[in-house]
Amino acid sequence: MAATPAPPTLKFTGSKHLIQRLVLATLTGKPLRISQIRSASHTSPGLAPHEVSFLRLLEALTNGSQIEFSYTGTTVLYKPGLITGSAAGHGAQGGVIRHEVPGECRRGVSFFLVPLCLLAPFAKAGVNVLFTGPGVITSSTETGDVSMDTVRTAILPVFKSFGIERDLEVRILRRSNAGRDGKGGGGEVQLVFGHQVRLPKTVHLMSAGQVKRVRGVAYSTGVAGANNARLIEAARGVLNEVAPDTYIFSDVSAAPFVPAPTRENPAAKRKTGLGFGLSLVAETNTGALYSADVASPPAGGEPPEDLGRKCAFQLLEAIEQGGCVSSVAAPTLLTLMAMGSEDVGRVALGKEVLGSEHVVQLARDLRSFGMSGWGLRDGDEEDSIVVSIVGKGVGNVGRKIA
Amino acid sequence: MAVTLGKRKRREASTVESTHGEVDDRDARALFQRAFEAKFKPLEVTEKLPSAPETAPLGDSFDRDDEESVTSDWGGLSDDNAQIEVVNHDAVDAAGHQLAKQEQKAFMSSKPPTATQLAPSIATQAASTSAEDEAETSNLKHDLALQRLLKESHLLDHSSTKDSAVVPEGKVRVKALDLRLRDLGAKQSLSEQKTMPLAHRKGIKAKAAGRETARRKEAVENGVIWEKVRASAQPQKRRERSIGSPSIGKFRGGTLKLSSHDVKSIERSRLQGGGKGRRR
Repeated sequence: MAATPAPPTLKFTGSKHLIQRLVLATLTGKPLRISQIRSASHTSPGLAPHEVSFLRLLEALTNGSQIEFSYTGTTVLYKPGLITGSAAGHGAQGGVIRHEVPGECRRGVSFFLVPLCLLAPFAKAGVNVLFTGPGVITSSTETGDVSMDTVRTAILPVFKSFGIERDLEVRILRRSNAGRDGKGGGGEVQLVFGHQVRLPKTVHLMSAGQVKRVRGVAYSTGVAGANNARLIEAARGVLNEVAPDTYIFSDVSAAPFVPAPTRENPAAKRKTGLGFGLSLVAETNTGALYSADVASPPAGGEPPEDLGRKCAFQLLEAIEQGGCVSSVAAPTLLTLMAMGSEDVGRVALGKEVLGSEHVVQLARDLRSFGMSGWGLRDGDEEDSIVVSIVGKGVGNVGRKIA
Repeated sequence: MAVTLGKRKRREASTVESTHGEVDDRDARALFQRAFEAKFKPLEVTEKLPSAPETAPLGDSFDRDDEESVTSDWGGLSDDNAQIEVVNHDAVDAAGHQLAKQEQKAFMSSKPPTATQLAPSIATQAASTSAEDEAETSNLKHDLALQRLLKESHLLDHSSTKDSAVVPEGKVRVKALDLRLRDLGAKQSLSEQKTMPLAHRKGIKAKAAGRETARRKEAVENGVIWEKVRASAQPQKRRERSIGSPSIGKFRGGTLKLSSHDVKSIERSRLQGGGKGRRR
């Protein structure tokens, strides 16, 4: 290895946008120190269980990374290594990394999956991760995570415009809503990401277009399949005027079991993760995708008709915000553009999407990590802004160093 | 309920009895009633219903009142509309069902749906040929005997073609069967011997090669024109390139070597790929 001086450690504070910063650190190879994580909280200071789980996943996925926690858990020092993916001998058994999500996790599995999809194209080998354990929630959650169907139908297609399209699969092996009190679930999801690139292509997404069709998935886990029909009917009632080509698929599955050992019976299991939900995706004639996601609350009480209408209105809101990317997929797209080849890429975003806290903080974090700033100018359509991002050509750092 | 049953039974009994002798029965009942009233309190007067024919002993007590009005008002079916109204609920037509299946495969598989996949591909009808041509091709396709003759003609010798039935026999039959199986999709030949001693195989191959060259030499001597011998090249596979290496040419020792073939392909794509950059 060349004798380059170690890059200076970047310092951040707070638990917000923690995952985004960890992902950027891994991609750029710069060490990171985050302090004062929930230091003001008395009940649960420091890292939350899902954040610790994500750090474990990073450790399994990379080679040579060092993670240090402080005694109280409110400070993390992260020195990233090379992203090796599911290569044999680096934490993968039989080419698959098994990641166990703890039962106290309140976030959906998309919380782990979306950043993982951002790291996977830059890995040394293909990424094949299986999420199991008592904390895998495949539906959308009240904490703001999207469901697996939305990830598969609205976020992964974004990779196609960057030239990353083959061997890309998200298999939902078992569905699960959030368990009681919104904690844990018994689902199982496998991500297969077999397309690694040196640099993502430069994209120019200028026109959003008109909404052409709406597709969706209504899922019921452990509850009557009639809920699906009611969800679909309620959503259709709202959407038929907007997009006549609407079709919502229905998925009914049994409730998953999680181990709940008692003293008398150590092999006891209990049902968890019952519920239903709806995920809608609207597609325009230029290929822009807008999505909406609702799921039944873990305590119950909301009839499927109300949820179906709520989801349809959420979708209409997302369509109104406009732009070539929705707020769900915007961070992924913008990060990929920043990691792309040294060329100017442009994307038209809606004002509300660009002005959201997440995207603005992403722009700031990219600056701190050494990426270039974004150029903004008014777009053709009203209420849209064209963001010009100059890629840094960082790409697959692992290939360069190794 | 018991009262109804009792009443029904009595009425049933009355109808049964009425077949034998209604008048006598009524007198007897009147006598019994008078005797009963003499002993106990007088019976409540129950209105006797008109002797409507009892269609069935089923039904509740209140139905009896309805029956009266129904029998009086209803005059029977009218024969004005002899046509029967048929209501057909075709929830999903065949084409729509096909579409749903295609859509399901495209959208609900584990792969992310691509934009082209989301567009429903309705299979376009092939251009309809004329009826005569269709008949011609179908006849040829279906003429099994003709096809078999055409394929196996090289196996048959002159002697067997003397009689009209051209059914192969013996060794020829085995070879013909082998040909047919290969046509149907068999991967290996029946008559091929897979394992034999190396010396045997070498000898067989050498003999076959020698026979081929002898035949060509004799053909050339006799003036028969034959095609030239060319070694069949293996299908050219594209070379797998590692990440970061250029997509054309060989990069070795810091130098990128472009063969004349590479240069020609670059020039060709430069001419053709003019409009690719202008997208969106």
